[in-house]
Amino acid sequence: MTDFFTGTIVISMLTATMRIATPLLLAALGELVVERAGVLNLGLESMMLLACFAAFIVTLVSGSQAAGLAAAVATGLVIAALFGFMTITLRTEQFVTGLAINLLASGLTLYAFRAYQIVSGKESPIITLLPNLSLPLLADLPGLGEIFFQHNLLTYLAFGLTPLLWAFLYRTRYGLELRFAGENPATLDTRGLSVAWRRYLAVLFGGAMAGLAGAFISLGSSVRFVPEMTAGRGWLAIVIVIAGNWLPQRVLLAALVFAFMNAFQLQAQALGLNLPYQLLLALPYAVAVLAMMLGRANSRAPTALGIPYQRP
Amino acid sequence: MRLVQVNDAAWWWDWVAIAASLLLALLLTAALFHYSGQPVQEALSAMLDGAFGSTESLLETLTRATPLTFTALATVVAYRARIWSIGQEGQLLMGAISGYVAAANCAGLPTPLLLTATLLAGALGGAALGALCGYLKSRFAVDEIISTVMFNYIVYYFLTWLLTGPLRVKHAVYLQSDVLPVGATLPPLVADTRFHAGFLIAIACSGVVQVLLKRTAFGFEMRAFGFSQTVTRFKGIRSERLFWGVMALSGALAGLAGITEVMGVHGRLNTDISAGLGYTGIIVAMVAGLNPLAALVVAVLFGGLVNGGFMMQVLTGVPKAIVFATQGIVLLSFLACSRLARYRLRWTR
Repeated sequence: MTDFFTGTIVISMLTATMRIATPLLLAALGELVVERAGVLNLGLESMMLLACFAAFIVTLVSGSQAAGLAAAVATGLVIAALFGFMTITLRTEQFVTGLAINLLASGLTLYAFRAYQIVSGKESPIITLLPNLSLPLLADLPGLGEIFFQHNLLTYLAFGLTPLLWAFLYRTRYGLELRFAGENPATLDTRGLSVAWRRYLAVLFGGAMAGLAGAFISLGSSVRFVPEMTAGRGWLAIVIVIAGNWLPQRVLLAALVFAFMNAFQLQAQALGLNLPYQLLLALPYAVAVLAMMLGRANSRAPTALGIPYQRP
Repeated sequence: MRLVQVNDAAWWWDWVAIAASLLLALLLTAALFHYSGQPVQEALSAMLDGAFGSTESLLETLTRATPLTFTALATVVAYRARIWSIGQEGQLLMGAISGYVAAANCAGLPTPLLLTATLLAGALGGAALGALCGYLKSRFAVDEIISTVMFNYIVYYFLTWLLTGPLRVKHAVYLQSDVLPVGATLPPLVADTRFHAGFLIAIACSGVVQVLLKRTAFGFEMRAFGFSQTVTRFKGIRSERLFWGVMALSGALAGLAGITEVMGVHGRLNTDISAGLGYTGIIVAMVAGLNPLAALVVAVLFGGLVNGGFMMQVLTGVPKAIVFATQGIVLLSFLACSRLARYRLRWTR
């Protein structure tokens, strides 16, 4: 327990929190924008998985991490375009379409990975991870430097995007229009502004963010690719949007809390706590249900969430 | 591009939609094989052969169709009332857990009694979880889409906790429980296969659900609830009670999927009992147009796809994971085609 008092465990736990929060925050911010525009994308989990694989395989084959990142974003965009075409243009049921996308993308990932293993003859190839960038001066701060300022590009991007996204949604005309697509699309339509167009852009943004989240899971945290390596983080991102009551600042908070619970679970043994680890893993989901039970009075859920827009 | 409703669409367009989506799925899968350098024809014929080619493979297909039929029926019941539950996966696991625990505690009872108790406990476990989500919705307005997904994870972690703790077999390498007590298993109906009586129960259930929906007051109220909650309220139907009643029934069917897998296939609890059967059941139900009898047929088709995938991997080395992508493609093209059966895309400015 002396480690605890010298702060080593606390610092490594908080550093891990930032790292674990990154993909959750990236995906949740994307989903937040999508849902604000009135579209529920339940295909997030597998969009991330396929993007994760794309980042891995392209980095492996081309040797360029930039190409890997680009491939992940492109993959997210392609799946999002398919999802958008189905739900916005064809107006299919959003959550069923999301589930279908989930099966399709996870099946494709597994198939492509196995096919690669067979064709290349490599059982478990490895890539180099994104380097950690220490911010000048800030990284040298005792404790805080390690926790906040020695991460890779994607972590800074995720945390930097949060205030920008808030400003976009609440302080710009485009953000207002986008929120109207999710609250009262008919108003937007009567003003001659296209609901479909705004929803498409939101869904594509969500796809790109899911792509980055997937890229982090491979390039940012694991040298190997493991099937199903997103491990429910896409679903957790959807929960984070709900627990965050569809507000960017609360989404940030929710992502940090869920990430901390996970980091705590990793360190619980070192702290000498004898809790079953499954309890800590299940906790975010139980907390989310509780949050929904208590939060219905002041829910900021977009009114038209999940409802395809049809001109009356 | 806009979607315009066609009012005079002929009745056979629905069938065109189903045929077109199956064809489209086949073509896209073949294209996938082709562009990833796999032998297209060999792979597809191995898949077909593995699914329906011989008596053994047909029976194995039916075995795999059994849990899918149950989870699809669970979906049909909920979605007909327009309750969008995605909790079949968790309810399936809950059914497996509660049924297993009941069987372990009732060991020694006469076989018929033990079998009934195990099945009943499985159904009840799933029903309890379904009713809980229904209660959360009607009492606390918690959206069922999200709460059911949450419970899928919570129950999964509960199962892994049981398997590392209370139900753990000593010195076992894998996460698994002890085997079911004697008399609590569903033995194979045909020697040297895994085909068990669960499939017969599934057939019976799809008949029961069909009758329930078409011929009973409860079924009528359910469908009315799906059309308009306001109307059902005017008719004096208690919508809260209906809500968790439907969720309980849906959960019971999903629970049966879990316990019949334990009793007929695995013989014990492990973490591979479901592997996505709940989610696939939703797709089966959607492709079956939420018809309980059609769900049985589509489940056999999807069971064949999974079973055929194994044969394909063994014979041609093509990874079997492709069947999940194919299932996704089937549903996506079905959704698109059934849209286009009633609507036409028009280019407008």
